[in-house]
Parts: sequence; C-alpha cells; structure tokens
Amino acid sequence: YAQQQLVCAACGCVLAEGLLTTTYTDEEHLREVAYSQSTGQKEQLSRCLQRGIRRVQDLCKVLQLPAVFEETAVSYFQRALQLPAFRLVSLEKKELLGGCCVFVTCRQHNWPLTMGTICSLLYAKQELFASVFLSLQKELGLSVPALSLADLVKTHLSSFQLFQPTPDVPAPFLEDKEKLVARTMGIVELASETWLVTGRHPVPVVTAAAFLAWQSLQPRARLSCPLARFCRVAGVDLPPPAHLRLKELLEILLGMASQLAWLRGFDLDKRTVVKHVGDLLQHRVFLLKNAFCQEGGEEQQDAASGQGSPEEGTPGQDSAGQGSPSSPPVAQEKKSCPLSGKRQREATLRPLLPPCLIHPRKRLRPAAPSTSDPALTGDEPISDSEIEQYLRSPEEIRAFRKAKAW
Amino acid sequence: FKDDFSTSPHLFTPVDPYDVELPIQTTEDVSSSQFNQPKELHTDFSSVDLSFLPDVTQDNKEQSLSEEGHETQKEFDGSVPRNEDRVCMDESSLPCPDGTLPSPEGSEVCPPMTPMTPVTPVTPASGSSDIVPQLQNIVSTVNLACRLDLKNIALRARNAEYNPKRFAAVIMRIREPRTTALIFSSGKMVCTGAKSEEQSRLAARKYARVVQKLGFPAKFLDFKIQNMVGSCDVRFTIRLEGLVLTHQQFSSYEPELFPGLIYRMVKPRIVLLIFVSGKVVLTGAKERSEIYEAFENIYPILKGFKKPS
Repeated sequence: YAQQQLVCAACGCVLAEGLLTTTYTDEEHLREVAYSQSTGQKEQLSRCLQRGIRRVQDLCKVLQLPAVFEETAVSYFQRALQLPAFRLVSLEKKELLGGCCVFVTCRQHNWPLTMGTICSLLYAKQELFASVFLSLQKELGLSVPALSLADLVKTHLSSFQLFQPTPDVPAPFLEDKEKLVARTMGIVELASETWLVTGRHPVPVVTAAAFLAWQSLQPRARLSCPLARFCRVAGVDLPPPAHLRLKELLEILLGMASQLAWLRGFDLDKRTVVKHVGDLLQHRVFLLKNAFCQEGGEEQQDAASGQGSPEEGTPGQDSAGQGSPSSPPVAQEKKSCPLSGKRQREATLRPLLPPCLIHPRKRLRPAAPSTSDPALTGDEPISDSEIEQYLRSPEEIRAFRKAKAW
Repeated sequence: FKDDFSTSPHLFTPVDPYDVELPIQTTEDVSSSQFNQPKELHTDFSSVDLSFLPDVTQDNKEQSLSEEGHETQKEFDGSVPRNEDRVCMDESSLPCPDGTLPSPEGSEVCPPMTPMTPVTPVTPASGSSDIVPQLQNIVSTVNLACRLDLKNIALRARNAEYNPKRFAAVIMRIREPRTTALIFSSGKMVCTGAKSEEQSRLAARKYARVVQKLGFPAKFLDFKIQNMVGSCDVRFTIRLEGLVLTHQQFSSYEPELFPGLIYRMVKPRIVLLIFVSGKVVLTGAKERSEIYEAFENIYPILKGFKKPS
C-alpha cells in the first residue's frame, strides 16, 4: 500500500518506481506504520464505521481536544453504531452521531463545549442534533454532567478580542482579561441566583454579563457603547436573547441598588447603575435578601422541608389549591409577605422569581364543558343528526367535484 | 423525545382492567372504580414478616407485597379521601372504616385493622401533595377493519383534510368531544385531543360512525389507549441545575435544547417535563393511575429543591 518513488522536483516526472512494501519490510527499515493505517484494521471495520471514526478524529483535532478525548469519543461512536438504534439511521444522522460522541466526551471531562459550536461545525440542524444526542444518552446509558457555567465564561471570554491592542480595537475597548473574567463571573453568578439562567440558553447570559462587566470597569468611556457594537468590536456573535438577558440583569441590579445605603439618594436608571456594579456584586447576598420580597415563614406548612430560614423568595403557597392560579403571583406574594418591620417596603418590591412567572405569557384556557362531565362512559348513544352534520350534502359534493375536478 | 408506546407493567392488577369505566371526578372515585374491594381483610398480622418495613422505597413495596401475595390496593377505596399521607395508604391494604384520615403512625385512628405502616418516621400528612395532575391529552387507536378510500372520504366529509403529498392520512375533526383523528387507508385510526379515556372512546366511535355513514363497513376493533398526558403545577420554583445533579441517572437538563428538565421515571415508566416555574408535564402513561403515581413520586423530590441552594 505504500510505494517509494523517485520524482523529479522540477517537473514531477516519476523517475523510478519503488518497491511494494509491507509492514514487515517497513519495520525492517525502521518506519513505523500505525495499525490504524495498515490494512489490518481496515479489514475489520466497515467503511461506514471507518468514515465515522475519521470524522470523530477530525473533529477532535479541529477543537484541539486532548488525545484521551479522541479515544473516548471513538469508543462511544463504535459502541453506538453497533446498536440497532443507530445502525440503520440515515448518513446525516450518523455524522451527527460522531459529533454527539465528541460533545458527550467533552461534557464528561467538563470541557465547556456548547451544542451551538458543535452544530455549526457539523452544519447540523439543532433539532436533529438534539434528538440524536438524547437517543445516544439513553441507548448508551451515559451520564452527561451539566455544562459548567464558570468554565463556559472562561472559554467564551477567551474568544473576545479585547485583550490585545490590534488596529481594529480602539483603545477604550481594551480590557484586562483577568479583571473582565472575574467580574463577568460575578455577574453570571448573580444571574444564576436570581433565576435568570435556569432554563435559558447559557451563551447569551454570558455575553450579556460580559458586556455589563466590561462597561462597569470603565463606565465613563463605555456607557455610550451599545451591546451590538461591543460584540462587533470584540469579534463575537451577538445571540438574539442577549438583549433580553441584559435588560433582566439591569432590572435586578437596579432593585439591588435601591437597598444600598449610599446609593439611595441617587436616582439611578439602567445606565447609571452600571457604574456601581462592583459594589453591588460585593454586597450581593445582603442586597438580594433585602431587595426582593422573601418567602415568609408562615407559608412553610411542611416541617419536613428541612431548610429552616427563608431564603431568596419562592412564590407564596398559602392557598393549597391546584389548577389555575387565581391571582397573579405578585399579588399573592404581597399578601403573604411576613409581618416584619420591613413589610411596608416589601409590599412594593417584586418577588425573586423566574421571569416566566413574573410575566406569564399564557392565559389559561377555560376547560371545555365536556371535560368535567363526570358521568361520561364513552358508550353513550350517538345520534344520527350529530354525525350527519359532518357529511356534505349532494349539492356540496357536486360543487366540490366541479371545483377540484376530482 | 418520542412517545413511548410500550406497556409498563402493572403494579397491581385489577380484576377487569378494560371493563372499568373511570368517572372523571376526584381521585377517590377513580381509585374506587379502578380497583375492586379487597376480598380478604387481614386482622391477624402474627404471621406477617414485617422486617422489610424500614426502607419504604417503591421497589421494597412491590417486593414485599408480592411476597405477601396480597391483592393490595395502590390507593384506598372511596371511603378514604386521597389527599392524606400517601405512605400510609400504600402500605395498607385495608380501608379505614370511619373514613377519617389515618395519622402517619396509623394505629390509633384505624381500629382493629391496623394498617401496615413503616417504622421509620415518614413525612407528615402535609408532606403529600394536595395537587392532582389534570389530564390534557389522550391518544388512542382503533381498527375500523376495512380498507378506506381516503379521497372519497375527503370529498364527502365536511370535517376532513387530505393532502397526500404531505401526509398519507385523512385528518378529521369533530367538535364534541373536541378531538382530531388520523384515518389511514388501511382502516386504522388514531384519535387525539380528548381529555379523558371515556371521551377518547366516545370520539373514536363518532369518527367510526362518520366513516360508516360514508358507506364503508367500518367496525370498532381493538380500541386502545396508547398515551396519556397530564400536567400540574407544584406552585414553587425549582432549581433544575440542582435536580439534574442529584438525579443524574434519570434526568436530562440541557438548557441549550429545551428549557425544562426531562425526567425518565422507571416506576412507573413515565417521562416528566419539569420546568423552573414549577409546572410539570407527565406523559407516556397507558393508565391514568400511572400519571398520579408518577406525580406522587416526583413531588417529594421536587420539594427538596424548593429553596434555591
């Protein structure tokens, strides 16, 4: 499978054909041939499997993953392809399967690779990738640890081009990497504690946090720069949800700022609060407790919950009813806030809840009348007239036939 | 995620599962109609081996009860309201004659037929949920047992849609019960959208009648509920990141893919979608008891995540 040839360097003409070599010969001549490149391995694996393994290896090289990742990913791929769930799927899915194996391996080693990255490398539709990923997880029984947000912050910020002076980056944009990472981390943690992260795409949160962090480190110069421009200069994509995450973060910060003694005098808005992010982060535990309506002790009906002291608020549960919420959570919360000295203040503050509960979008549909019919047996007589309403009259049929030329 | 149509093994076999009609009322009635009264009431426990009791897990319960060979009830019959301490109910095969709530320790309220209660302290009565999942969708199938001319049906029925290039079935809808049916040329039919088993059956019969009136010799064979979907609200927020850590082998939480946590419960074999708002969707059931059981299993787990870490 290998030939030594003497080729003219100038014109490329072959001057002398070499010998047909074998592994034995090559090894005699001290040339190592990897097993993966010899015919031995190829004979054992199907072409499809070979192709897939090559793909997995290429992906690992592109992502610059450690060698041990490649071995793990390839072994997952081989195992998966043997299972009936994957053996007969389309070629497109098999390609995604390779990507999934790499993705799972990364996550298991806490290597913060996002699905978005893998999908863009594979030119894959995210829904398809998602289904292959979930099947892979189920079929191989793999436990995939959650994406570590802290690691994601570090890797994501590494791709920002703000740390080295380049011709594209104006001086006011440059920032110290350590400082930016530390502050972004603080803001991301704050977001996590205030329910802005659970259930949401992680990257937009990091992008919005990085922007806020960057602004707050030199507010005078940077307050006028919008998020879009920041991302453009930094050379990163601006994911659409980042604007919303930014808005939510600013709202939280404003709420917290209202509790800082030396800021109460100022009339802060979402631009000026950025100047004080450092202070707000430093005292965030105290501020969160005071800035948002906490869950009162009387709502803890069950002693078994174990965790004694009320912490950042969860919605009041004083009414035991289920089904549709009779009143919006905010109103409920106001009633159920504890009778402490802070009651007045808390009555005007909002509860610390995920945004989906504070701004519920769905209006509950009233249940259909037949739903609650208790006596329904399913064997009720069916009247002819009821069925006939669903049948076309002969004239209608004629008209349709004419129109559609059936 | 795909709907799982495989049948999950019944924990307790009622005498006539398919003859039972379940009224859509409070669950106490559900349990009464679904299961027969126990034929035997044990008063003497001297021969009973209670050494298995301390760990009250689902597996143990199953094991112990199969060992005993009881025809035990999953839930009390109608005399006892459902929203009481579930553990007590599960352990006991006996109804409480005076209909009052047995305390977790059980013995003082239910005279001579002492329910089998675990010796380790259990969560108090308020620990069990007062929440009952509401059924939102039932998917059923039936065989009309005759070949159908779909074009003909689409022409002659008002409530039919047929686009063979997109999908090889007629999509038919009726107003009451508000449902949709997929009718295939083989004569097989899928009925979706009903909110109860009876509604699904009634709707399927109506579709069959429509097909009959269109001139086909439609029958009504092998009606089967294939999937049931329920939902409810636990009324507190849930730290999904924490839940996926402690229940890794059952959970899949990928915020990049889907905002909710996908929990694959083994017993009963139900998939739950758990959201940060506290809303829970339960699917994959063939019987409504599986939905209720799954929710009762997940509720204490979710309560553990009620407070942010």
